Amino acid sequence: MSSFARLKHIQDYDQVSYYSVCVGDDPETFDDQDSLYESFLKTQGEVNRKKIIHIINWLKEIGERYGAQKHLFRDEQKQGEANALPPEGTNRIPTYTEAGKNIPNNLRLYCYRLNEHVVILFSGAVKTAKYAQDCPNVNPHFAEANRLTKAIDTAIKEKDIRWIDNFSDIAFEDDIIIDL
Amino acid sequence: MKKNNIINEWLNENNDPVIERLVKRNLAIANKVRNILDEKGLSDKDFAKMLNKTPSEISKWLSGTHNFTGKSIIKMELALEERLLHVEPVKEYVHLGLIKGTWQESVNEYTEAKYQETMPGKVG
Repeated sequence: MSSFARLKHIQDYDQVSYYSVCVGDDPETFDDQDSLYESFLKTQGEVNRKKIIHIINWLKEIGERYGAQKHLFRDEQKQGEANALPPEGTNRIPTYTEAGKNIPNNLRLYCYRLNEHVVILFSGAVKTAKYAQDCPNVNPHFAEANRLTKAIDTAIKEKDIRWIDNFSDIAFEDDIIIDL
Repeated sequence: MKKNNIINEWLNENNDPVIERLVKRNLAIANKVRNILDEKGLSDKDFAKMLNKTPSEISKWLSGTHNFTGKSIIKMELALEERLLHVEPVKEYVHLGLIKGTWQESVNEYTEAKYQETMPGKVG
């Protein structure tokens, strides 16, 4: 598992700013590396082209028009537990958006919705089992998304990532290093 | 902080106008349903019961990623007693103000202030 992460700006829209993360063991390589979201695009764009186009258009439409409203993002259910979102400022589980019919062709993109205006995009894959933990495709991405979500929360608490513009965006140093 | 344009750049090269339009429509429907549920004080669970679906299915429907069939839209319309889609022709209405007297008198007496008095809405 990777030891460090760095935030990378992906796109600004009127309602939402999107970010992703570069992960690895050597922060010196982050400048030359694709973020998790860019890797997701490259990997899934080859094999699930229409589903990818669907998801990316969804990100754009949310960004331009609707904002990252809570009901537009789904919680990844943990086996035996109900959906829940903890209060603001504490560790949260990742949410996801998806395109496709139910099992087995269900492409998931995991993300962390900080609020209606800021979303961190991770990666994902096609889910082939009822629960993420049971699916060999998405489980690694789900686990990584969980780690990154916790680490980002810590970085926010420690002010390495700061809220700006009345909580409509975040700011951080370009060379930020987040411990995982 | 360096700013990128990664989503738009990718869409410029790879987009599909049919999928783009479909996503816009699906989100518009989901958003409208959400607003109606909020106005009526209905939860996702209530709505699920009305449609004989699970809350998880409703959650997916209202995330904006679900491709609604015509039938499912109609089922939602019937359950909510609200129209979600309108396909009637769009009509433009022109309001005709009241003109008293003969047309020559009206022309002679015309002023901008009088015109605004008889016409509703903003004149610009």
